[in-house]
Amino acid sequence: MGQVRMTRKNRPRKDPWPRSHTGPLTWWRDHKRVARETLHFVSARPGTSMLVWLLVGIALALPAGLFLVQINLAGMTTAWEGRPGLSVYFDLGLADAEIAAAAAALLARSEISGVKVTTQDEALREFQTYTGLVNALDLLAENPLPASLRATLAEDASLVDLELVAEFAGRSAGVSEVVVEKTWLQRVTDITRVVSRLGMMLGALFGLGAVLVTATSVRLAIEARLEELRVLKLVGATDRQIRRPYLYFGAFYGLGGGLIAAMLISLCLVIVETPLTHLLGSYGQELKMSGFDPKFLLVLLAVGGILGIAGALLAARQRLTDLEIP
Amino acid sequence: MGHIEFHQVTKRFDNGHEALKDVTVTFEEGSMTFLTGHSGAGKSTFLKLLMCLDQPSRGQILVNGVNLTQISSRRLAYYRQNLGAVYQDHHLLAHRTVFDNVALPLRVSGMLEKDIARRVRAALSRVGLLPREHLFPGQLSTGEQQRVGIARAVVPRPKILLADEPTGNLDPELSRDIMHLFEQFNQVGTTVIIASHDHDLIESMGWRIVELGNGSIVRDQNNGPGSYDTEK
Repeated sequence: MGQVRMTRKNRPRKDPWPRSHTGPLTWWRDHKRVARETLHFVSARPGTSMLVWLLVGIALALPAGLFLVQINLAGMTTAWEGRPGLSVYFDLGLADAEIAAAAAALLARSEISGVKVTTQDEALREFQTYTGLVNALDLLAENPLPASLRATLAEDASLVDLELVAEFAGRSAGVSEVVVEKTWLQRVTDITRVVSRLGMMLGALFGLGAVLVTATSVRLAIEARLEELRVLKLVGATDRQIRRPYLYFGAFYGLGGGLIAAMLISLCLVIVETPLTHLLGSYGQELKMSGFDPKFLLVLLAVGGILGIAGALLAARQRLTDLEIP
Repeated sequence: MGHIEFHQVTKRFDNGHEALKDVTVTFEEGSMTFLTGHSGAGKSTFLKLLMCLDQPSRGQILVNGVNLTQISSRRLAYYRQNLGAVYQDHHLLAHRTVFDNVALPLRVSGMLEKDIARRVRAALSRVGLLPREHLFPGQLSTGEQQRVGIARAVVPRPKILLADEPTGNLDPELSRDIMHLFEQFNQVGTTVIIASHDHDLIESMGWRIVELGNGSIVRDQNNGPGSYDTEK
């Protein structure tokens, strides 16, 4: 095949097809128009849109909820880590003076910030108060509850120090048992780790789910408007212009999903508030939920929007590349 | 801005049929041409190649010196923004009003809405459809739909205007009006190529006539003011 001979007339021109409207204002105007049209399209189909929002919302709510649980558990261990300690139980009938000496010896240690002694009589009274078993204990010949003391670890002391103090206390005369209270703290820490990893794993899985839900919805929207896309191509729309409405679809679906997720989490918090207050109350703690604040909501919306756009990009890339019109 | 060159262009389909065979023809900027020939002669294929709806099997198509067979998708979009096309099957959007259908190329080019409204109403007025701007294509006759397609093609004031049987469903009087509308565009420098087999209309307009037969140019006759340059 021979090449075309270049003449003055057919020589390529610098800009053979000039565009009359360019620049950031035109770009902004086009975005505004597309956003308005897409919003209209989404709101004109409330059933479909609500379904997508719910699916994306549920997909976001679970990892986001786990994140909240994780940060609250972490907060709980941090709050209690300043006050772990040990309980020392004495032999029955040990003299008050020996108990006081043991208490003083513990208090003298720098790792211990405070000591509270509970005598046998006090222990009995507390037991009766909490259990209501007044008459049953009256039947016993002698008080079966030992005297005890609770030593609280100083704020700058570590859990290793606690072990050392426990060893020291165990060697004292008249001590029958030493209970180190870090065991359940470690459990909470372990649970926090599990929840954290579970949250990350579920976050990735459900995040992918949100992307796929949006991608499927956007793909359906593309299929419904295929003829329009062909015509847009014919009148000179660029690939970006063709893709733009679908990115807005994704963003609206994601933002709506984020909002639904926030509502679901809020509903869950309302539902678990009473039993959780009761549970924490039994450990002498107050319910202080942290993390569910405006910043969390903004991040949830942003994550929803980003996942929605990612899903839309995925669908648009897949479907728009095989439009029959080049 | 509408210098078009076909250089040894051949279009062979997958079934082996050659719709265009080694066609070489030039359309000067600002020329007006009727592309004619019997059914299946290759008129529509010729226009489709020029609209970049298909690729030639061999040869080059140059518009303003740019080879359409090697054009990027972005430049193709800008090319189409400077191209007005009237399709046989209209390609109108059923869920958009007449106004919105005609406004589509202007919105794509980023024009201001107030300018769009003015331009669209002027175009609709020219094809006699201004009173029907709020209707949907499904509420119009085939002839009216064709006129909407014509209004959409001319509204961006394209550098090149291509029309595939634009008067196929119009009465003779309206056909002539539409041709005069195309002539007016030509007078401001638009290159116009119209595929038609309406012999009476073609002969009466006095434009250049390029006739295709079995995929080859069998006649290239200059009847009017538009100049041409043909190699055979």
